[in-house]
Amino acid sequence: MNTTVEILGFAREPAWLPWAVQYFFLVGISAAAFFLSLPGLVFARKAWLAASRQALFVALVCGLTAPVALLSDLHQPGRFLNFYLHPNLRSWMAWGSFFIPLYVGGLLLYAWVCLRPRLAALAAGEENRHVAAVYRALAYGGHDNRTAVRLAAVVTAIGAVLILLYTGMEVMLVRARPLWNSPLVPPLLVVTAFGGALGMTALFAAAARTRGVAPVLYRWIAVTQALVLALLALWYVGGVTGLSASAAEVLQAVAGSTGWVLTLAWLVATTAVTLWLATRPPQGLVLLALLALHGAWIFRWILFMGGQAIPKMGAAIQAYVLTPTPDGLVGIVGTAGLFLAIYILLTSFLRWDERATA
Amino acid sequence: MKDHPDPSRRSFLAALPALTAGLAAPPARAAAAGAQPHWGLLVDARRCIGCQACTMACAIENALPEGQFRTSVATYAVATATGTAVAMVPRTCNHCDDPPCIPVCPVGATFKREDGVVLVDAEKCVGCAYCVQACPYDARFINHETGKADKCTFCSHRVDAGLLPACVETCVGGARVFGNLDDAGSEISRRLKAAQGRTAVLKPEAGSKPNVFYIGLDPELDGRVDAESAADMTWRPGRGTHGA
Repeated sequence: MNTTVEILGFAREPAWLPWAVQYFFLVGISAAAFFLSLPGLVFARKAWLAASRQALFVALVCGLTAPVALLSDLHQPGRFLNFYLHPNLRSWMAWGSFFIPLYVGGLLLYAWVCLRPRLAALAAGEENRHVAAVYRALAYGGHDNRTAVRLAAVVTAIGAVLILLYTGMEVMLVRARPLWNSPLVPPLLVVTAFGGALGMTALFAAAARTRGVAPVLYRWIAVTQALVLALLALWYVGGVTGLSASAAEVLQAVAGSTGWVLTLAWLVATTAVTLWLATRPPQGLVLLALLALHGAWIFRWILFMGGQAIPKMGAAIQAYVLTPTPDGLVGIVGTAGLFLAIYILLTSFLRWDERATA
Repeated sequence: MKDHPDPSRRSFLAALPALTAGLAAPPARAAAAGAQPHWGLLVDARRCIGCQACTMACAIENALPEGQFRTSVATYAVATATGTAVAMVPRTCNHCDDPPCIPVCPVGATFKREDGVVLVDAEKCVGCAYCVQACPYDARFINHETGKADKCTFCSHRVDAGLLPACVETCVGGARVFGNLDDAGSEISRRLKAAQGRTAVLKPEAGSKPNVFYIGLDPELDGRVDAESAADMTWRPGRGTHGA
C-alpha cells in the first residue's frame, strides 16, 4: 500500500466569506418567518395571532438586512446592476437576483396591508401631530382589507418559496463541493430556516414581553429540530453505506480530522439539546430562542465555511480563520448592527404587541 | 567591420527574442492557415522538476497580486514497497470542453472562445465567486486587487500574438507542451498520439472534458489526494504578505 505525503501544496482561500453565511441565515429566516405570520394574520388562528405578529417583524427585519449582506460579498455593491443588465438564465444565482426583489417587494406590500389598521390606530392615539400625520398617511384610510391581505400573501408566498428554492438549488448543484452536492442540502436549509425563524420569533416575543406564544413556538421548534436530526442521520447513513457518493466523499475527506468530528458532534448535540428543551413544559423563551438560532446559524457556517475547507485538489484541509476584518468578524458584527438598527426603528415606530387590538 | 556579425554576448542576447518567436511557431502557423485552432496543454509530469518557474513566470506575465497564482506545482512524496519517489503535479485551468464554471455565472461573464480558451469578461464579472465554487480543479480565485474572478487564460494575449504561454516558454524541463489539438502535425498532437493509453486528465469523474492532458500522472494524485499533509509546507492564503 502506498503512503503519500503532500510536501508542497497550494491552498485556495474560501471565496464565499462570512457575508454569505449571514445572507443565507437572514434570508432563510425571513422567508420562513413570513410563513409563520400566515396562520395569525391571514388565516386568523387565535393561538397564532401574537406569534404571527412577531413573525412579521422578524420577516421584515431579516428581509431588509439580508440583501445588504449579499451586496457586501460582491466587493463593490454597484456591481449588482450587472445581474439585471446581463442575466444568464442558466444560473440559479441569476434567477435569485429576480426572486429577491419579488420577495422583499411582496413582503413590504403584505406588511403594509396587514398593518394599515394598526397604523390608523397609532395615528388616532398619537399626540404629536407630525408623527400622527405620518401614521395617517401610511395607514391610507386604515381599512382592514382581507382580500388585499390574501392577495399580497400569495405574491409574497411565491417569492418566499422561490427564495428557499433558489438558495437550496444554488448550493446543491455545485458538484465540486461534496458537502454541498447533496439533495438533502435544500431541505436542511429550509428546515433550519424554519427553526431559526421560530427562534427569532421567540426572541422578538421575549423582547416585546409578549405572552402566550410559548406553547406554539415550543411545539414547532421541537418539530424542526427532530427533522434536522432525521435529515442529518439520513445524510450520514447515505455516506456510510455509499448510497450518497458526495456524503461518502465528505466522510472520507474529513476522516481522522478531530476538528471536523468535534464540529459535527457539536451540531448534533446542540440540536438534540434544543429538541429536548423544546419538548419540556414551556418555561421562558430566551434560552430556547437562542438555541434555535444557534442551530440555524451553525449549520450554515459548517456548510459554507466548512464546505470550502475541504480541498478540491491536494491533501490539506484548509480551515477558515475568522479574522477581525470587514470580510470576517467585522462583517458579522456589522450585519448584526444593521439588523438591530432596523429592529429598533421598526418596533419603535410600529408598536404592535398583544395589547394592540388593531 | 560592420558587415560581420558581432560575436559578443550582448548581440547573442539581443537575438533571443527572435528565437523565442520561432518557438511559438505552432500558434502562428495555425493562425496563418486560417483554421480555427483548438488549444490544449500537455504536461509531462516525468519531466517536471518542481522548480515553480512556471508559477513565477505566470505571476509576472499576468501581473498577479502577490500570493495569488494561476498555475502552480504541487509536490508529493509517494512511498511504495520498492522505495520513495517524489511526484510533481503541475496544475492550471483545464479549459474544459464542458466547463462547470460557465453555466453557473449569473451574468455570463465566463465564456469559452472558439479556440477553446475559457476566459472571464472583467467588465461583466460581479465577483460573486460562484464560478470559483463550481470549478472542480480549484483553478479560479477572486483577485485581491480587482475583486473579480481570475484564472489561467492560456496567456491568450501572447497566443493571439503568436507566442507561447509564459509557463510553457519558461519550463526548464520542457514538461509543458502547448499547441493545437486539431492539428495532427502539431507537437502536442504527436506527443499525445505517441503516449496513447498512457495519458490522463485531472478528475476525469468530473466529466468536464479537460484540455490539459498529463503523461506520467499518478492516478492517486489526479484530484483530492488522500495523503498526509506536511502542513508547514502548504502555501496558504494570508500566510504571505498579501492583504486580506
